[in-house]
Formats: sequence, C-alpha cells, structure tokens
Amino acid sequence: MEILSQFINSYFLWRDPMIVGAVTGAICGFLGVYIVLRRIIFVSATLTQISSFGVALSFYLEGIGLTIFSSLIGPFALSLFLTIIAAAFYALKRDFSRISREGVIAFGFLLASGGVIILGDRITKGAHDISTILFGSAVVVDPIDVYLIPGVAILAFVIHLIYYKDFIFVSFDTESAKLFKYPLRRLNALLLITVALVVAVSTRALGALPVFALLALPALSSLYLTEKLKLLFVFSIIIGILSAVLGYFFSFILSIPTGASITVCASIIFILSAGWRQIRFSI
Amino acid sequence: MTELIKLENVAIGYEQDPFVDFINLSIEKNQFWGVLGPNGSGKTTLLKTILNLISPVSGTVFFHNELVFGYVPQNEKFDPIFPISVCEMVSMGRYSRVKPGRRLSNIDNEIVMRSMDSAGISHLKDRTFSSLSGGEKQRTLLARAIAGEPNILVLDEPTASVDIKGEAQIMELVRNIQTESKLAVLMVSHFLKTVSEFSDHLILIDKDSNTFLSGTKIEVLQKESLDKFFGLNLNLD
Repeated sequence: MEILSQFINSYFLWRDPMIVGAVTGAICGFLGVYIVLRRIIFVSATLTQISSFGVALSFYLEGIGLTIFSSLIGPFALSLFLTIIAAAFYALKRDFSRISREGVIAFGFLLASGGVIILGDRITKGAHDISTILFGSAVVVDPIDVYLIPGVAILAFVIHLIYYKDFIFVSFDTESAKLFKYPLRRLNALLLITVALVVAVSTRALGALPVFALLALPALSSLYLTEKLKLLFVFSIIIGILSAVLGYFFSFILSIPTGASITVCASIIFILSAGWRQIRFSI
Repeated sequence: MTELIKLENVAIGYEQDPFVDFINLSIEKNQFWGVLGPNGSGKTTLLKTILNLISPVSGTVFFHNELVFGYVPQNEKFDPIFPISVCEMVSMGRYSRVKPGRRLSNIDNEIVMRSMDSAGISHLKDRTFSSLSGGEKQRTLLARAIAGEPNILVLDEPTASVDIKGEAQIMELVRNIQTESKLAVLMVSHFLKTVSEFSDHLILIDKDSNTFLSGTKIEVLQKESLDKFFGLNLNLD
C-alpha cells in the first residue's frame, strides 16, 4: 500500500514515460496483428534491430567528429531512414533466387545486431544510450517523444483506418487481390512502412527489445482469446497498453530495467492467455 | 453469343519455359467448361493464365471489356490463423467492384447477404471460415465468387475436399447459379464423371505429351482421346 501511494505521489516522474509506453503499446499491439497473421514476426525483430543500428550509427558518426553530418542526420532521422528502406525492401522484393525470404530476413537481423554491438563498442560518448536503445531502460523520455509518438501513432492509425479492408485483403488472399487488380506491392509497402515508422520512433524512446515484444506478444495473446478479427485488434491494443503500463509500474516499484519489465509483463499475459484457452477448451 | 475470353496460339508455363503450346480457346457466355487432365498436367497453370494471374509464355489472351471473374480457389490455400468470419469472407468477393480505400456501401452489403442466402450459408455468417466443414467452405467460397456479380465463374477443384453428398450439393448449386445468372463456368476437376455430367464443353490437357484438346463434350469425349489422356482402356458404353 505504501509502495502504491509512493508510486502515485511520484506521478510527475512516470507520467511522460507512461504516456509514451501506453501509446506505443497501443499502436504496436494494433500493428502486431498484421505481423502475427502474416507470419512475419521475424521481420519486426529485424526492423527493430535496424532501427537500433540507425541510432547507434548516428551516435558513432557524432563520436568520430562528423558533427555536421550528425546534426543533419540525427538519431531519429537516420533510424527512420534505414528502417523504412528495410521495410520497403522486404515488402517489394519477393524473389531471392535460391534463398528463402526467411533467410534474407535473418541476414538483415544478424547484420544489424552485429553492427549495433560493434558500433556500441566504438562509441565513447553515449554508451549508456546504446544500452537504452537495445534493452529500454528509459525511465525518462525525451519531452519531444510525448508529442512525436502519439502523433506518429495517430498517423499510422488513420492510414490503417482508410485501408483496413485492403490491408486485410492483401494479407489474407494475395491471389484474389491480384485478380481484382489491387495494387499489391504498394499496399504491402504502405503497410510495412507504417510499421517501420512506428518502430523507428518507439525504438528510440523505449528500446528494441520492448518494441519487438509489444509487436509480437499482444497479438499472439489475443489469438488465444478471440476468434473474431475485429476483436483481435481490440484485445491486442488493450494488452499492448496493459503490458506497457504494468511494465513501467513494476519497473518503478522494483527498480528493474523498464524494457525488460515491459517484455516480461507482455510474456506473462501471453502465458495467462494460453492458459485461459486451455481451460476454456477443456471444460 | 458473347465471347468473354479468347486464347490465340497461347503457350503456358513458367519463366519462358512452355509446357503446353498452341492453345486456342474461346469461352462464351452461358457455356459450362470442364478442365480435365492427370495430376501435374498443367490444369492450374492454364487456369491462372486464363485468370490473368500469370502471363502466357507466348500468344495472346483477349478479355471482354466488362469481364468480371468470380473465382473459387481450393479452400486449403487459406491460412487458418486468420480469424475471418464467413460474412467477412463473402464480403471480399465484392472487392472486385470496390476500389482500395473505399468501403462497402449498403447496396454492397445487401448483395453480400443475398449471395450468402443463395449459397444457403446465412446461418453460418458469424462462424470462422477455418472452423467450417469442407462442404461449408466450398459454399462460402461460391457465395464469395457470386457476390462480385461476375460474368464468368472459375472453380479450381470445387469438390476436392467434400464427400459424395456434399459434391452433389455443390454441383447443383453451381448449376443453379449458372442457370439463374447466365454465367460462363470454367471448372477444373479430377473427376471425369462430375465434369462430364455438368459441362457442355471440355478441355483435356497434358503437359507430358504437350497435348491440348478442347470442344463440345461430344467432340472431346471420344474413346481415343480419353485412353491417351488417362492411360486407360476405357469402355464408354
């Protein structure tokens, strides 16, 4: 009880990170439904790593004295640029000769992960920031993120509201979409670019690990809870928000890293959802 | 007679590698075409070429200006992870007439409901597609195909995953839809009996011998051609 009142009294400390986390949880939960249904969870892992690589590269360029370059291309802009390029590549390029698509996705993930670790090792200034980017220990967020992340989330949500039927159609039945002359490549690219945009802004604020967790786990949990498509989106948004809010709460009261706390909360909800389904079908 | 699709000296195949060539075919309104051939004979490739999903290796495919396809794919191709309801599935058939970024109008929704009624699946509208039986899935896919108010119905093995009773019901439904809407039908099937009973025109295709034969049922169902295609000594009496 005392911990709770201490938590409530310190609202000025957690208010902004909680807002950013909850909005990220909501939009990642929403977009995660497409990622899970299209069976491209590993694409989201790769995009979060590439986004991290963009931030790390920006820090590195600044560290070696390319200040003019880094002021023109800040961590967010470089991360956004690289993530969108990667998303467009995965959406548009389908034929990789003898190599499967999964193989190319794994290549992107591994290259970006290796790059982040190498750059992290070379960065003298901002080493702490690299750790934050990867694992999300952000108890304090940049004030601009309080406006930027909800702004990007609203933009992504509006795009999805307009193209809801089309995104579902091209994800579910590519052949019929082609038969009806739907612009398949453009719609797929737009869908993944909205994911890239959200990943780029939220990775910088929360870290790669919690963003990946919020993209995958709420939607997976929701699949255990409902068999209705629209409810799947609603549940996934709610679980995304819940994971982020509980993650921040436990991070605050237990003094544990925020990103890991969000990830574990989302994982616990996933286990509970799986248990709920097991009970429901065994009765 | 209205010509809906015409193939002129078409060669079908993948990546400039034709396996059946010199295909000439004309599909007209109100005709019922059956496509027969052994496994791996090129039936699906022909179907996809006619649907304009893949380009012919050579030759030309002409389409009527106002051609709208109603397509019934094999139901196994849909990923069961998608919790798509029967109503949502049938609504997708209407997307042939609704551009990206637009929503279905009230009229579109009425047509969707009518299509489900015609296929006898209105009571299943809230069920998840993946939870249906083989026959119910096929009826749903038929409702989806007619929701787009097509002038040709293309069916890929519509009775492959149903029992004998279900097969008869689906074929009756296809026949009723064709009669009521005066559609052309193009149906791929493994079953010679089903195809020969319902079709008035037939296509026999076999890529191993690079053979393509088409015409009226009487023209095609000759002992010699069936013996050649199926490698059997058939008795047609």
